[in-house]
Amino acid sequence: MALKIIESCVNCWACLPVCPTEAIYEAKPHFLIDAKKCTECEGSFADSQCASICPIEGAILNSLGEAMNPPGSLTGIPPERMAQAMAELAAH
Amino acid sequence: MELPVLNAHQPAAAKGGCSASSCGSTDDQVNQLPDHIREKVQNHPCYSEDAHHYFARMHVAVAPACNIQCHYCNRKYDCANESRPGVVSELLTPEQAVKKTMAVAATIPQMTVLGIAGPGDPLANPERTFATFRMLTEQAPDIKLCVSTNGLSLPESVEELSKANIDHVTITINTVDAEIGAQIYPWIFWKNRRIKGKKGAQILIDQQQKGLEMLVAKGILVKVNSVMIPGINDQHLAEVSKIVKSKGAFLHNVMPLIAEAEHGTFYGVMGQRGPSPDELMDLQEACSGDMNMMRHCRQCRADAVGLLGEDRGSEFTLDKIDAMEIDYAAAMEMRKQVHEGILSDMEEKRAAQAAKSKPKVPAGTRPVLMAVATTGQSLINQHFGHAKEFQIYQASPEGVKFMSHRKTDQYCSGDSTCGEAESALARTIRSLEGCEAVLCSKIGYEPWDLLEQAGIMPNGEHAMENIEDAVMAVYLEMLAAGKLAEEPEKKQRANA
Repeated sequence: MALKIIESCVNCWACLPVCPTEAIYEAKPHFLIDAKKCTECEGSFADSQCASICPIEGAILNSLGEAMNPPGSLTGIPPERMAQAMAELAAH
Repeated sequence: MELPVLNAHQPAAAKGGCSASSCGSTDDQVNQLPDHIREKVQNHPCYSEDAHHYFARMHVAVAPACNIQCHYCNRKYDCANESRPGVVSELLTPEQAVKKTMAVAATIPQMTVLGIAGPGDPLANPERTFATFRMLTEQAPDIKLCVSTNGLSLPESVEELSKANIDHVTITINTVDAEIGAQIYPWIFWKNRRIKGKKGAQILIDQQQKGLEMLVAKGILVKVNSVMIPGINDQHLAEVSKIVKSKGAFLHNVMPLIAEAEHGTFYGVMGQRGPSPDELMDLQEACSGDMNMMRHCRQCRADAVGLLGEDRGSEFTLDKIDAMEIDYAAAMEMRKQVHEGILSDMEEKRAAQAAKSKPKVPAGTRPVLMAVATTGQSLINQHFGHAKEFQIYQASPEGVKFMSHRKTDQYCSGDSTCGEAESALARTIRSLEGCEAVLCSKIGYEPWDLLEQAGIMPNGEHAMENIEDAVMAVYLEMLAAGKLAEEPEKKQRANA
């Protein structure tokens, strides 16, 4: 049972100091979670701390490989709106 | 961001700079402030309009983490202060930041202030932020330290801030109303939980106000920054200004929202527009009845180095500072002399300006906005076509007052005339909307014609003259020609 940081991580450091088990470490190209140390905060906090402060949708996955913060859940930007804006920019 | 370099880099250049009263002869003026505050801010470029022509500042990017989300910020590209999205700052350790600060201090003696402003929230990175401040207090005691924060962790940090000898703090306060706050801040991280919507906004607002009161009680100077977001908080910021002033903030800086789709921010993607220069200026005027307003902010990066509006960060990358040998004791001696020279020069100019007789303009004469192309030294010394920003001055029976600066590569204000087809020149002229004259050292035929068509009078007759004197001279000419009896002509000069 462990959470996982994936490549969309922007290395903002927010998660590292809030992890109760010091499972998160700085690495290249992005921060990583030591699966042996990660408890998903069970016994420490009601919510997983890294996933509660992470500003990037989709950057942290649960043990089933699902995004803890799915698209649109943090920024409030509907995913289709984001896709449309990015397509318009690419067309420029 | 390429902006005009306002200073030359030798101490002697400090003799230039613009005169005290050129930058607002009203309550905005630092010399109108109580003596104990003036003492503290007279060499701080972000707190004193006057000082920003002479003194430089730098930011060190030691604070990456943030504890809230703002709708104008995208953490992938740093925060909204990032003027070039996609350019990622070089994150520094506290040790690297101290080394960089001392290298800059020795190279740019006019640099008086070290700020930590991100790229996240400095107080959400207390260990890195305070380690930097502690080392600098010890190793470079002649540098003023300041910090900018969203305020969420401010109350718990006030004690440490006062110990670290920080006497300037900037809090970004965009609202005091949780309904409005929920439209600006989608979430905060608070007591081990992510709290969304109005509830989160209310906690943030309470923490900001509490932090402001605690800082004021400690005698720490507080500036409040607000981002003007049309349709969200624009009608509300005058009230914010009143409230923060009543709690003891000494300066309010209302900045325009920067929102572009390519920044990937909520406001950018959702098409929220920023304010036009006119709207911003009107709001600053509306707030200025209650509060000292800052009008010279350049919304700089979290790793900017130099005078406001310039960025010399590329001279101080990690590999470059590694190669530098710094004798800080010698640097400190040299800096002291430079600072004393600048301050006595500023004092002299203030006195000279105060001694000048006031021009006779009948009370009630309407004020006029003029744009000025300048590279500094308080002179009209730049070619129209070379200006990357214009200084906007207002002439009125009360005198000449600095109002704002406008970039010629304006951020899109979102109206329908803005498109790729618009030439750089047309964009520049549009950015001067509301001005009735442009004073520059020289100007070509094409822009001359286009300016006239737009109802803006080009003027190259005051090259190398003092800005304030020239603006007043043009105002008096307009008065003598009977142009001030009527409202400004708009776009009627096509055939003039």
